[in-house]
Amino acid sequence: MERRRFLTRTGAGLAGLTALAGCTGDGTTTESDGTDSSDSTASDTDTETNSSSTTSEGTTTDEGTTTGSVAELSGTLNVATYTSFTGEDTAGNWLKSAFESEHPEVTVEFETPENGVNRYIQRQSQGASIDADVFVGLNTGELVRVDEQLDDALFASASGQVAGSDSVKSSLQFDPDGRAIPYDTGYISLVYDEGEVEEPATFDSLLEPGYENALITENAQQSDPGRAFLLWTIHNKGADGYLDYWTDLIDNGTQVLSDWSTAYQAYTDEEAPMVVSYSTDQVYYHGEGVDMSRHQVGFLNDQGYANPEGMAQFAGTENADLARAFMSFMLTEEAQAEIAVRNVQFPAVEGVESGGDFGEYALEPPEPVTFSYDELSGNVGGWIDEWARQVASS
Amino acid sequence: MDHRVDRFVLPAGAVATLATLLVVFYLPVGSVLASAITAGSRLTVDPLLTVLGDPFYTGAAHSLFVDPLGVSGGIGRWLGAGLPPVGFGLFGFTAYQALLSTVASVVVGLPGAYLLARFEFPGRRFLRSVTILPFVMPSIMVAVGFLAMFGRTGLFNDLLGLVGLGPVELTFTLEIVIMAHAFYNAPLVTRLVTAAWESVDGRRVETARTLGASPLRAFRDVIVPQLLPALGTAAVLTFVFTFMSFPIVLALGGLQLATVEVWLFDRVQNLDITEAATLGAIETALSLGLIYLYLRFEAMKLQSGGESRGLARERLVDGWRSLADPRRLGLLAYGAVVLVLFVGPLASLVIESVTTPGGQFTTEYYGFLLSQQSGSATGTVRPAQAVSNSLLFGVGALALALPMGLVVSLVATRERRGSRLAEALLTAPLAVSGIVLGLGMLQTLVFGTEILGHRLTVTGPVAIVAAHAVAGYPFVTRNVTPALGAIDDRLVDAARSLGASRARTLIDVQLPLIGAALVAGAAFAFAISIGEFDSTVLLAEGVDSATMPVALERYTGNRSLGPNLGPATAMGTLLLAVTTVSFVVIDRVGGRWEQ
Repeated sequence: MERRRFLTRTGAGLAGLTALAGCTGDGTTTESDGTDSSDSTASDTDTETNSSSTTSEGTTTDEGTTTGSVAELSGTLNVATYTSFTGEDTAGNWLKSAFESEHPEVTVEFETPENGVNRYIQRQSQGASIDADVFVGLNTGELVRVDEQLDDALFASASGQVAGSDSVKSSLQFDPDGRAIPYDTGYISLVYDEGEVEEPATFDSLLEPGYENALITENAQQSDPGRAFLLWTIHNKGADGYLDYWTDLIDNGTQVLSDWSTAYQAYTDEEAPMVVSYSTDQVYYHGEGVDMSRHQVGFLNDQGYANPEGMAQFAGTENADLARAFMSFMLTEEAQAEIAVRNVQFPAVEGVESGGDFGEYALEPPEPVTFSYDELSGNVGGWIDEWARQVASS
Repeated sequence: MDHRVDRFVLPAGAVATLATLLVVFYLPVGSVLASAITAGSRLTVDPLLTVLGDPFYTGAAHSLFVDPLGVSGGIGRWLGAGLPPVGFGLFGFTAYQALLSTVASVVVGLPGAYLLARFEFPGRRFLRSVTILPFVMPSIMVAVGFLAMFGRTGLFNDLLGLVGLGPVELTFTLEIVIMAHAFYNAPLVTRLVTAAWESVDGRRVETARTLGASPLRAFRDVIVPQLLPALGTAAVLTFVFTFMSFPIVLALGGLQLATVEVWLFDRVQNLDITEAATLGAIETALSLGLIYLYLRFEAMKLQSGGESRGLARERLVDGWRSLADPRRLGLLAYGAVVLVLFVGPLASLVIESVTTPGGQFTTEYYGFLLSQQSGSATGTVRPAQAVSNSLLFGVGALALALPMGLVVSLVATRERRGSRLAEALLTAPLAVSGIVLGLGMLQTLVFGTEILGHRLTVTGPVAIVAAHAVAGYPFVTRNVTPALGAIDDRLVDAARSLGASRARTLIDVQLPLIGAALVAGAAFAFAISIGEFDSTVLLAEGVDSATMPVALERYTGNRSLGPNLGPATAMGTLLLAVTTVSFVVIDRVGGRWEQ
């Protein structure tokens, strides 16, 4: 079998990318670091010199200044996303107010179908109209599904047309056709109770007696972190070895629950001392009186599985300019820092430092890994199905 | 005037019922299930054979579909090998756990009916009103309650520890899944059988007793036959519901205990509509087949009685000596079981809503509800609006489901050829997976259906109420049909021969006699509407139509207070409170014309 080429980001690569990002005019990084607190309010946009946005801070007045098209933007932008991206205190709500105050003639509306991107795949294949202009919250596996299900393009390629997209970390870029642009990422890791178990160091160690009945994960068929954890094991054990590994894992008492909420609840209730979760766990748990021993983050094999979230412009939108302006806006340094904090995910743009608790307590894995679009395409469905059949039959 | 009512109202009601069913049920479901048996425009059995012939789905039975001729040889080899255990795949396991769940629900539910129907005690009416509370609880909340109650460090183990027992490890076992299924469905048994027991004709029992029958004999020969239809209905429905159980299985048991519905959901997620439809079609065929067989059995057993006068209730506590009565001791023990299995998880849920993950008291989850209420951001679901939507849809669904259910019952109790089959088909909303219905609604109602060049969509509050009514009316029918059938035909004939129209006979003679059944049916219809999630989110246009379960689901995904289900448990407690009050009101209002 052909040896798989895995996307990993080595230390050297990281340094190179940072240097590259420096070249693309992201020189204000340090400056904005210093003004983090004031940076987080929507009105204070003056520190922006990111290549993505125009310098039209003047849009708080009635007329846009000389910068042309951006200042003249008007109309309603329909953003399709997942439900928890919208509502009080969310990234979506912040983006809406910030973008609207920058472009007074623009209104941002959200639609949040329960079945996510599937809704639009189904609408397209049945010839029903699609009212949304941008989709926010697309991951690699979903993009693979879009392409497997549809002959006609659902999303338009945005390469070269969305300012700022070249500053996105290359390790997170997952769409070879440049339609989906990552705007943030989570890293799937273990969260464990160091009072109960030793730090789980490797995938193989999970099979040891010390970790018997110790791990709760989520069903890869229906849960993002569950799927990411399964893919992570495939990443390490190979497509022809992961099922054997899982046989041993299940034999050692690993439980596969429905989704993240129930799995984490079971962990909270001390049903098991380890759970598959996110490396941002301590953002919620720190400070006085919090028992940090139950919120240790374990990076197996010094890795974490990246699950980048992307945004893409619908091919049929009549608001392409507006859609691209919004996408650019999401990549500005200010928005990136806000999304990180409010969505509890890491920024996708190189060099953005998110402040506050997030910056301090969100842990990044030494070696982020993930499968690329090409590696998942044609494989991911079968991998998950064979795994699920094996677990259900055991 | 009355005769015009006769000629038009009932047929018009039947037509309206069918039209509603057609739009919000048969059309959507048909659009999905059709893909199980068609390829392009021709019929095919290939998808069915693919699923049935897959050992993962059907285990040893797959050879029936792959190699029918080799089956006898296979059985021979099996006999020769000394009857080793055989598995029947995902379908086999699903049926197995459904059977166990049914037995558990009946065992737990029946004593409750006995208690509620035969004894008088303070709080009896309240208890009867809130019996079906578990019905409306979203599965994530039941999971939270069960983990807190029966988990490794849960309250149950604390209690066992007090009496020197335990601890027991229940999480991730088949046992806890079956307990959760009993939690949901034993109330169904209790409520249906209570309604039947309350309308047992007391005079017949007296007659039997005066003829020298022992109390046990009178119970067996007179009461049991009158309870069987309700018990049978409850058992069949429990089996059908637990066969199609989905979120709770994976939340408490894990993927190793997966049911067919888990795979059906996965196929829909992956947009493998053909296989999803095939799984759904097989489920529906099995469920409908079972319901049809049961209805035939019920029609055979159903006996008409006289005007029911009901049995006098005994006082539960009647002096100190009554406490030594073995029946009362048994009921006392039963009370303990109820406390653990039903009150335990619900109370745990309420406790979770005021407890931080670290175990301290907090009111911040309720503060969260208040902040959502005053929130101005788009996409914010406001709790008060969710409550009022739920109540509004619930009342609407109830108002629609009662006449629909009554019409179907009237049709069903006419002895005509095929009326069993018709009733089975009209009971189909109970027998179709919510996932299939949801997918169908999406394809036909939400995306719209092309009619005369226009794309017609059916969404919004009216569609939600119709969908809820369709999901709820079979409960009305299942409560009312046995009661209606039990009315002595001579009463109806007498009224008619005295010149009363059919409508007048219905209103003056039949309805008062089936009051208890109607109220029970109404409570179920309301409960179904309050608890409904799948079609509500599909048909809702934005957050303005959000109901309590929708709000709860949204708060589950909210991380503003950290990664815990606190805000959701606060909403769950609110849901519990609102529903409790509603059930009491329904029973009180309904009780006025029950006698």
